[in-house]
Amino acid sequence: MAGLPPLASLSQIKNTPSSLDGIPADLEEDLRAYGCKLIHQAGVLLKLKQVAVATAQILFQRFFYVSSMKQFGIGDTGMGALYLSSKLQECPVKMRDLINVFDLLFQRAAHTVSPSSHPLPDFKYSPMSYFGSTFYDLKESLVVSEMQILKRLGFNTNVVLPYGTLVNYMRLLGLTSREDAVSRAWGYLNDALQTPVYALYAVPTIISAAILLTTRHLDIPLPSTPPNCWWELFDAEWEDLWTVCGYIMRLYRERSPEERSRVVGMMGKKDVRRWLESRPNASQ
Amino acid sequence: MNYIQLEKLGEGTYATVYKGRSRTTNEIVALKEIHLDAEEGTPSTAIREISLMKELKHVNIVRLHDVIHTETKLVLIFEYCERDLKKYMDAHGDRGALDPLTVRSFMFQLLMGTAFCHENRVLHRDLKPQNLLINRKGELKLGDFGLARAFGVPVNTFSNEVVTLWYRAPDVLLGSRTYSTSIDVWSCGCIFAEMISGVPLFRGRDNNDQLLHIMRIIGTPDERTIRKMAQESPEIQVKQWPRYPKIPFQQILPKASPQAIDLLERLLQFDPAKRLTAAEALQHPYFASAGMSAPSAAAGQPYAMAPPAAMPPPSNYPYQHPQQVYPQQAPPNPQMAAMQQAQAMAQQAPNGYAQYPAGYTR
Ligand SMILES: Nc1ncnc2c1ncn2[C@@H]1O[C@H](COP(=O)(O)OP(=O)(O)O)[C@@H](O)[C@H]1O
Ligand SMILES: [Mg+2]
Repeated sequence: MAGLPPLASLSQIKNTPSSLDGIPADLEEDLRAYGCKLIHQAGVLLKLKQVAVATAQILFQRFFYVSSMKQFGIGDTGMGALYLSSKLQECPVKMRDLINVFDLLFQRAAHTVSPSSHPLPDFKYSPMSYFGSTFYDLKESLVVSEMQILKRLGFNTNVVLPYGTLVNYMRLLGLTSREDAVSRAWGYLNDALQTPVYALYAVPTIISAAILLTTRHLDIPLPSTPPNCWWELFDAEWEDLWTVCGYIMRLYRERSPEERSRVVGMMGKKDVRRWLESRPNASQ
Repeated sequence: MNYIQLEKLGEGTYATVYKGRSRTTNEIVALKEIHLDAEEGTPSTAIREISLMKELKHVNIVRLHDVIHTETKLVLIFEYCERDLKKYMDAHGDRGALDPLTVRSFMFQLLMGTAFCHENRVLHRDLKPQNLLINRKGELKLGDFGLARAFGVPVNTFSNEVVTLWYRAPDVLLGSRTYSTSIDVWSCGCIFAEMISGVPLFRGRDNNDQLLHIMRIIGTPDERTIRKMAQESPEIQVKQWPRYPKIPFQQILPKASPQAIDLLERLLQFDPAKRLTAAEALQHPYFASAGMSAPSAAAGQPYAMAPPAAMPPPSNYPYQHPQQVYPQQAPPNPQMAAMQQAQAMAQQAPNGYAQYPAGYTR
């Protein structure tokens, strides 16, 4: 039903299923972001509607508040989420197209982390055979993953997207004439799809955070001293706003090449398990 | 499975429905079995039906009790109803036609269920007699939400493949993708006429033929109406049609009361903006007219049921001609414009990530 979408509970946030399986918080955060980037890249290659891509990313984030990355790989889950969201948004993709695109993304990722020669040779995609086992394996994973998402989210597939409301808020604040402000806030909202905020906070709070980041960055003054705080117009709490800003800003922090490549090799649950076992204190 | 499968109740477009009995409580239920296809995964119809019906709890909506997942199929456990409205009309009607009290009771319940969906931002999109279920108490319940969808703001463009042809609204037949609750209201109107006469009102063979059937009865809309509709839904395909005059519904449904005719008239408006909403239709004097206020007196008819007591007094109803109730030109709505803008932006968005904020490295 088009009611309010479910948000993660406090205990789900404090103890995510992945953290209970021993996956450190920063790795989980990176894997979440990486999974959402994959979804985005696949969406672009498939020329999917933005609403379908955003829906998939939100379902993906929600899923990992009820499931662990040790049990469900981010690659398969991303693929399943995008397949599901294309149905929900009435622009269904063909299974074969989706599998091809993800196969390409998986191969490219594997290429980047391959331990072979330096410097890396250029990436060459080798299309799979439809009668080979790769296609059937991916198809199987896709169907299972879609079903798992539905099952574990209890068929609560409703998501609220922020785009229409952003435009209304900007109008209320008299900012629609500032094109730079509108598109910057738009960008923050899209980038926020790589963080868990849509599974944690109500949409008005997330939009207010995007507006806050925008107006600070562009030095646009808005009434911000009690009792006249602009975000109160949208029923957002300062503290939540600030937390959401924190999630978004963390996306832009400096990362070392090792940190960046770490997640690329952890597309599957087996990769995650291997990583957990290889840790010195993997004695749990 | 926790249920014993009994006889087959019906077959629809994508599922088979069986009667079932719970092994633990002996409760009788309906089991809707949906096969999982290796080529398409979980059917979208099932996804929609489950996600929407889980939340829609109302006497006039068939209740979804549970979902059972197996490797090869999904089984939806629904409350059991005796039969669908189509079979009911065949069994109880006079050549399909129902008596006025039953028609009124069913129509009231149909509108109640529909209004509840709309209040909860759900479009059914496939209302027809086969998808309305009647239980032994004479309660009518909306079923088969396989084509339903949630709507919100902004109004998305929807699939044009909705609603079985005969109950499909003219704006959808013309290609509209921005339709809303008014498409369900059109279907309610068609079902209303069918309960009165026993036969479907508009029986077209294909999309265009269906439009012609509609125009032959309610008349070809004038230029102005078409232009206005095309303005509101630019996807609409405007063509030249033969100019049919309107035939009064009284002529087609001689048995219907003037109030029934008036309600039908207001439901079957060619222009979606002029159709009553389901909630407004419930206020129509047809549901409160004298001499019809005691359907419970129809004791000999177990299936006739009085409309609930909470019926509003007829004096509330603005008894005007549809044209007066609904101004021709909707006032400009700033929110609507904002939504359209947002929609336009959403469509060009995939670059959104890349563009801003600039510092973001991928
Ligand atoms: N809860 C129920 N109780 C009794 N019969 C039912 C019930 N649900 C469905 N049926 C019967 O099964 C038929 C098909 O069910 P439906 O949900 O419409 O499936 P489909 O989506 O495949 O059209 C209905 O037309 C009706 O005759
Ligand atoms: Mg059906």
